[in-house]
Amino acid sequence: MIYYGQQSQRGHEALMVAVFCWIAFGMGAAQAASPEETIAGAARKVVKLYGAGGVRGLEAYQTGILISAEGYVVTVMSTVLDADEIDCVLDDGRRYKATLTGVDPRRELAVLRIEGEDLPSFSLQESPRVTVGTRIFAMSNLFGVAVGDERVSVQHGVVSGIVPLDARRGAYEAPYRGDVYILDCTTNNPGSPGGALVDWHGRLIGMLGKELRANASGIWLNYAMPIEEVARGYEAIQAGQAATPSDSQSPAVGMLFDALRMGVVLVPDLLDKTPPFIESIRKDSAAAKAGLRPDDLLVAVNGRAVASRTAVQQALADLAEGDPVRFVIVRDGAIVECDLGQRPSDARKP
Amino acid sequence: MSWIDRSRGEMSRSEVWVTGLMLLCCGIGTTQSTVCVSGARASDTLAIEEESAFRVAADRAAGAVVRIEAIGASADGIGGVAEAAPATGSSSGLSVAANGWILTTSFAVPKDATQAIVLLPSGMRQVARVVARDLSRGLVLLKIDLQDGAELPVPAVSPRSELAVGQWTIAMGRAINHAVPSMAVGILSATNRAWGRAVQSDASVSPANYGGPLIDIQGRVIGILAPLPADTAGMMTGTELYDSGIGFAVPLEDVMRVLPRLQQGESLFPGILGIGYQSRDLMTAPAVVASCRAGSPAAQAGLRPGDTIVEADGRPVTRIAELRQVLVPHYAGDTIDLVVERRADNAAPHRITSHITLAASLPPWRRAVLGIVPSRSVRPQSTDEGDREGHQRNPKRGGPSKGVTVAWVWPDTPAAKAGVIAGDVIVSIEEQSPDGRAGGTEKVPVDSAAMLAGLIGGMEIGQRLRLSVLRGKETLLVEVAPAAMPVAVPENMPISDRDVNQTTIQRLEAPEVAKPPLAVLPAASSEQPLGVLVFFGMPAAAADQTDAARAAVWKAAATRYGVAVILPGSNDPQRWGREDMAHVARAIESLRSQRPIDPSRVAFAGRGAGGSFAWLAAEAIGPAVHGVAILDATLPRQAIVEPAEPGGSRSVLLSRSSTQPVPKLDADRKRLEEAGYPVGILPDLVGDSIPTEILCGWVESLGVL
Repeated sequence: MIYYGQQSQRGHEALMVAVFCWIAFGMGAAQAASPEETIAGAARKVVKLYGAGGVRGLEAYQTGILISAEGYVVTVMSTVLDADEIDCVLDDGRRYKATLTGVDPRRELAVLRIEGEDLPSFSLQESPRVTVGTRIFAMSNLFGVAVGDERVSVQHGVVSGIVPLDARRGAYEAPYRGDVYILDCTTNNPGSPGGALVDWHGRLIGMLGKELRANASGIWLNYAMPIEEVARGYEAIQAGQAATPSDSQSPAVGMLFDALRMGVVLVPDLLDKTPPFIESIRKDSAAAKAGLRPDDLLVAVNGRAVASRTAVQQALADLAEGDPVRFVIVRDGAIVECDLGQRPSDARKP
Repeated sequence: MSWIDRSRGEMSRSEVWVTGLMLLCCGIGTTQSTVCVSGARASDTLAIEEESAFRVAADRAAGAVVRIEAIGASADGIGGVAEAAPATGSSSGLSVAANGWILTTSFAVPKDATQAIVLLPSGMRQVARVVARDLSRGLVLLKIDLQDGAELPVPAVSPRSELAVGQWTIAMGRAINHAVPSMAVGILSATNRAWGRAVQSDASVSPANYGGPLIDIQGRVIGILAPLPADTAGMMTGTELYDSGIGFAVPLEDVMRVLPRLQQGESLFPGILGIGYQSRDLMTAPAVVASCRAGSPAAQAGLRPGDTIVEADGRPVTRIAELRQVLVPHYAGDTIDLVVERRADNAAPHRITSHITLAASLPPWRRAVLGIVPSRSVRPQSTDEGDREGHQRNPKRGGPSKGVTVAWVWPDTPAAKAGVIAGDVIVSIEEQSPDGRAGGTEKVPVDSAAMLAGLIGGMEIGQRLRLSVLRGKETLLVEVAPAAMPVAVPENMPISDRDVNQTTIQRLEAPEVAKPPLAVLPAASSEQPLGVLVFFGMPAAAADQTDAARAAVWKAAATRYGVAVILPGSNDPQRWGREDMAHVARAIESLRSQRPIDPSRVAFAGRGAGGSFAWLAAEAIGPAVHGVAILDATLPRQAIVEPAEPGGSRSVLLSRSSTQPVPKLDADRKRLEEAGYPVGILPDLVGDSIPTEILCGWVESLGVL
């Protein structure tokens, strides 16, 4: 058995750390602000946004983040912004009209501008190191409960995981596929989108996303887009380079790629989740050359678990033409890996 | 991204820092005052050091956390009635022995999974074998074959005795990102939940970390994260709780105790005693036995209806809940000690001690009836009162028991064949051995319809009985054997002489219910209480009738059979949902306060989506619902179909779904019948019509004994 813990070997070093800490406290050298001060400082840079909506299922409010003293605000692109006038309320109750500067449809990011000077703001230039376990505060206008000069609501938690976003809401598929921070506090609330994710030093590390369910598990996600990604979107918008929706959609979202085109005949799809057993293999196909056989059970395509026949076709569709294809199969109770060469094009051959 | 990855070197470094901080606080006494002087700053640093402590703890356990992938599992994801999402097959697991033993939940590897794969932290996939299941706690033991003497880390166990509410806990998993285990931090909320089988934390617990460990701040494993066992709080599954601040873990200490049995391939089942209680109020009512299943451990040990369980495993029992607290953690095959208090007629109560070995399952139970409908009077139906009165009254009066008057005899049933007629009074019941000689059990005096129901409910079909029946001034002895509950609606059911003009249509107002359901209420008295039928039609958006028109359809049949018909509307216009169940429960309560109702004749019915929902609502509300009619629909995928139990059986009416093939109807029927439910098939519905006469007559027939 392997046990952890090498403290004994490092006891000496630990004692030195203790002494160092003691000296540091004694000299009053600790730099950290208290959590209360951190929150108070950060909340000044988070704004409440009011716009279109109010119809069933759509809120007319969300949250924004001040990112320059000249009044630039980043938020999530949503129907709230489909209004002639967008109201922006600071934490001291000051109310501004906001204008939409631009949007980045791929990241679903929008930039607003309010006419103010010397406004408190976060810096997009910093990118603090964030790992699983980083303690966070999530600050947002959740459920619209903060009114007038009331400060936005603050929740606390840790970054639970870092993983590419793969989510949807109903028929709407989230176009952003980059990494997000999964949070362990419940931020999938009306009004939370556009909220600020800050670390316990008060630095901006992310922006809360809109309400989405994970494609894989169906659960509502609590997540935020990392600040580096927000900064990239903001710069693209400011440079007028933000992609338009038509050329930025993920290519194969919702599409399937039939494994038959690589010579693999899967068992017929009769159940809700048909296990991806191989029924037969076409002669002289990529699958035949790779040594696949009938009754092999596919368990992963290029490292991604495939729980069903449909998942195999989705995994293949998400690859690009020419990408190497690697299957993991179970044969006679053992794992076998097979290379199938390059994925053919999406276009069907006659 | 490189900054996600964390090297071993950093982990050790943070360990050092925490150790340092501990030395600072504990070891150097004089520092204490220094820390206090620099007050705010010390607490600020504490926040940062706490974060390091969380990471160190997580790093210690991380090596034992694996990802589980299930191939071909058809588990309904989560979200219950309204939104079912497909399960991904990705979940977490925990190494519990160095040579490849992995624990996970049955959520990760459901029974129908074709293949389970373990993805080790190294990224290597291994084929896993399902070795055994713990069906009481919803766990699965997997085995993988490690190559060349490789070993998996095994985490330390956090002892249950050391747990304290309020201590830090960290929930971990590998479903989100297999390379870096996920962390969610919270405190321990309770040390004893789900009748002793789980601890509770406010760390975020969801399908993203089910199967992973809940660890303490030292990195020791408290338990395996799991959905709440479905039998715990009337929930359909525990999975809906994921964003509620309520998470559960099965204590690892408990699992390690039975691990050798699981490793031998022995699946563990919840231990079953086989009794029904007189009251459904777990929290206040004493554990008085209402029925003992034939062939059950309780019956074999000689327990009888009327016995009060006063002690279990040496712990005093004053309420049913205390008995459950002792019973539920036990597995089948465990032996428990029970002390019951028994009162023979006119004698002081005496105590009997039994050693009972719990069973994994009971022989299929089917509701057996004699075919009589007892005279309806609300008072004796309340089992608590009947029991209390009985104990006080009998010794004082010293006379014979009151008996139960027969109101009607169902044709072609055992009672009818034996010559029982309306007006007879059944005063006692005596079981007979199969060869016809009386023996074994005593003559049991019958005090109330509920008591008679309990006695008959515990009997098997074909059990020979001798009834003492008072007819006029004569006492007759009637030999009779109960038969299976008929489902067909008898044609010559007695029709009440209620006046249709006295039947009112009104809304059942209840607190916190915005849209109170409509109800059709015939006149009622305590001598003639009403049956209850809750009918779920189309969800609000699809219903094309006005409320008045919907209610009018039911007026004649409801009056004829004395059935209160409740017509709820869905809260979400598109679909029936969980909140509608709560509204229905409140509506029934509201009705109960307005009209005398007969609890033995409460049924749910519905058409289309409402039909499937009627079944789920009946499952959620529990044994108070005695019949479910699913018209033009099928059993929903989320249906659990618990085996029928005395006091928890339902008659089921099915009619073919216009959207599903006939084999689904046959499959539903087979599934229900195997679970012991009497099933009747109605003719296909024509157009939009609802067979109100058949449904109300069927509700009337549910009260048969």
